[in-house]
Amino acid sequence: MSCQTMPNVAPHPATKEVEAGVPGEVRIVAFLCNWCSYAGADKTGMNQLPVPAELSVVRVMCSGRVEPTLILETFQKGADGVMVLACHPGDCHYKEGNLRAFCRAELLERMMPQLGVDPARFYFDYVSAAEAEKFSQVTNDFVASIRALGDTAPGR
Amino acid sequence: MNKQPKTAVILCTCSGIITEKIDWDTVRAQLAEHPDTPVVTTDELACGAENLEKLATWLKEEKPERVVVAACSPREHERTFRTLLASAGINPYYLQMINVREQVAWVTADPAQATRKAARLIGAALKRVQHHRPLVERHVPVRTDVAVIGAGPAGIQAALTLARAGRMVTLIEREPFFGGMPVRFEELFPNLECGPCLLEPGMGELLHGPESERIKLLTLAEVTEVKGSFGNWQLSLRQQPRYVDPELCIGCMVCAAVCPERRENPWNCGGELAAVDGPFVGALPNLPHVDAGRCLKLNGQECGACLAECPLEGALDFDDTIRDSVVEVGAIIVATGAEELPVVPPTFASKDNVFSAYAFERLLAMTGPSGGELVKGDGSAPASLAIVQCAGSFDDAVTYCSGTCCQAALKYAHIAGAKQEGLTVTRLIREQVVPGINAARLFSHDHSHVVRYDGLGDLTLAETPNGRVIVCGSNGAEVPADMIVLCGPTVPGSGTTQTARLLELGLDDAGFIAPIHALSGSFLSPLKGVYLAGTCRGPGDIREAFASGTAAAGVALSELVEGRDLTVDPQVAVVDAEQCAGCKSCIRVCPYKAISWDEGTKAADISDILCRGCGTCVAVCPAGAITAQGFSRAMLRAEIEGVVS
Repeated sequence: MSCQTMPNVAPHPATKEVEAGVPGEVRIVAFLCNWCSYAGADKTGMNQLPVPAELSVVRVMCSGRVEPTLILETFQKGADGVMVLACHPGDCHYKEGNLRAFCRAELLERMMPQLGVDPARFYFDYVSAAEAEKFSQVTNDFVASIRALGDTAPGR
Repeated sequence: MNKQPKTAVILCTCSGIITEKIDWDTVRAQLAEHPDTPVVTTDELACGAENLEKLATWLKEEKPERVVVAACSPREHERTFRTLLASAGINPYYLQMINVREQVAWVTADPAQATRKAARLIGAALKRVQHHRPLVERHVPVRTDVAVIGAGPAGIQAALTLARAGRMVTLIEREPFFGGMPVRFEELFPNLECGPCLLEPGMGELLHGPESERIKLLTLAEVTEVKGSFGNWQLSLRQQPRYVDPELCIGCMVCAAVCPERRENPWNCGGELAAVDGPFVGALPNLPHVDAGRCLKLNGQECGACLAECPLEGALDFDDTIRDSVVEVGAIIVATGAEELPVVPPTFASKDNVFSAYAFERLLAMTGPSGGELVKGDGSAPASLAIVQCAGSFDDAVTYCSGTCCQAALKYAHIAGAKQEGLTVTRLIREQVVPGINAARLFSHDHSHVVRYDGLGDLTLAETPNGRVIVCGSNGAEVPADMIVLCGPTVPGSGTTQTARLLELGLDDAGFIAPIHALSGSFLSPLKGVYLAGTCRGPGDIREAFASGTAAAGVALSELVEGRDLTVDPQVAVVDAEQCAGCKSCIRVCPYKAISWDEGTKAADISDILCRGCGTCVAVCPAGAITAQGFSRAMLRAEIEGVVS
């Protein structure tokens, strides 16, 4: 059996304080690049389009800054889903950071089953500064899919 | 005991817009229970001028070491609140902004959820700011002198613009003369004005006018090495010997008249030059140069014909040698130009009276090989002229349209027709691109026959009783072709390729220098302090060359101002030399060539001037030796922990 098709992803052991978490609410972290996807998220606000309340944005200057280990750490700390949103190919403010982010995302998705995390809990996409509707769409879709998958640590 | 630095939280209502969804009282109640015991204030409009004054007073009273502002997007007001911190005597980089307007209040329908999200984000920010470090903007003195590489119209225009603003300019030209391509063109599209006449006022100003004191023109010179960064570049130059002292020579060309040795004239695509000669009549600076390969005296033979006749003792200097020098400048303008790719399909090879566009320009020019006479190789007048446009464009090697050969072809048709009455002119085209109001005048008066063809493979030559014809295989057309002009595609000049390599600039698919942005930054290279002008950026016409020369100079003037130091953003990446494993992965991924290898410390070293803070190197470093200041691992980890806990 290939490691990529390994089913039955066990929830990873999450040790956390039970302080701010609300039962039934999933925890989603979205890494957004400052120039395109973060600006797109701002535009989503200006257009008053819905974004799930469970989504927490972490702003970085470039999606190329987000290394796979940081994403894995985010899961380890208790995130139920992680998004990395980048500038469209050719539009990167730093020329090619988004493509590096894409390559890393591809690699990470292949590694995740071996580390015990369902790759469906990770999402990479391109969102431009103008794509408010897309930002609203992909965040709602992703959060809905994570809600369907459930909490990574149901007992908490 | 609470050992955390004291933190202040500013909650902005944005004139009630934020508080439509977020209940700051609930958040304040939660913050009152927070283990870090932050001090909290709610402000109606934190960005307002009066409010900022009040907030500064409050911060001065509370003396926090960290500040969290929950308001609008940091893309809008991060600078405002950094300034607020500075005015209260707090390091501006101790700020963390939470975007509760665009990214919470405006996108969350349920006020309870919005309030909870805002509280969560503020909690994360409180964790994050504990890891903030005080950062200081560094100020670096910059040189305001500029080097311009390439003295065609773009380079000349850039140099003059800079010199008129009082800047010292080194203008570096590889040829023995300057003026680039159009100075060799008799007439220019679309108004058929004379090329040298258009350029010579500027060239004269540069050589003899008030600006000549600020522009140092180096001909026969090339850049051999470039070191440094924005504000402080070092260019190593190599200047080939001219064997003529420009200070003494009066340009009478008596030397050329008596020189016994001949060589081919590469600038005229025909005709000959003496071993000591000027490239063509009117070339500036008005000086001969000696071809060291052909001069008898320089090759050990007994000759001194030129020396004997030269009216100025010492003007001919056979002891002249290669001169290496270094210039130090703040910015570099690359204006190294493009050239025509000579495309000759096999069926046209070694046939008489087949010209490249450039060779035909020279044939039409009064300073050209035939003195401007439209004559064939045997000296007779042609009965017909076939101008093959798009010769080699739109094929596998050159996929693009150069956008200038339609202009040239219309001009050739007009000039050739005027030089010889009754000349049959045919333009063979694949596509035709003649936009613009000025172009319409020449286009609407064009009397050429127009034949469409399907690539150079479509064309063959045939002899008929009425003379030579080009046969188009695809449509059977027979085009009378006593004389043939093949308008080859515009490709990067060898100087452009060489300069791009020296500066480690990226190239586009066609080999031209890739600008930082095709639309908004076509005069800027990705390297700060290196600007682009003219056709090193892609095919273009003379208007484009003048415009981009002015633009590149304008950028240099706005970025390098006398007495204004370069302010270096401290939010850059830094290497911990102790931890660096020496894999050099970061050097390979940096899009700005900001990272170099320090042999002394055996570690990567990041130039804070060149770094733009993207953090790609941070992500790639396997040793974790690189920190993105302002976005450090510790800060991001704390923030992540805050939002998921």
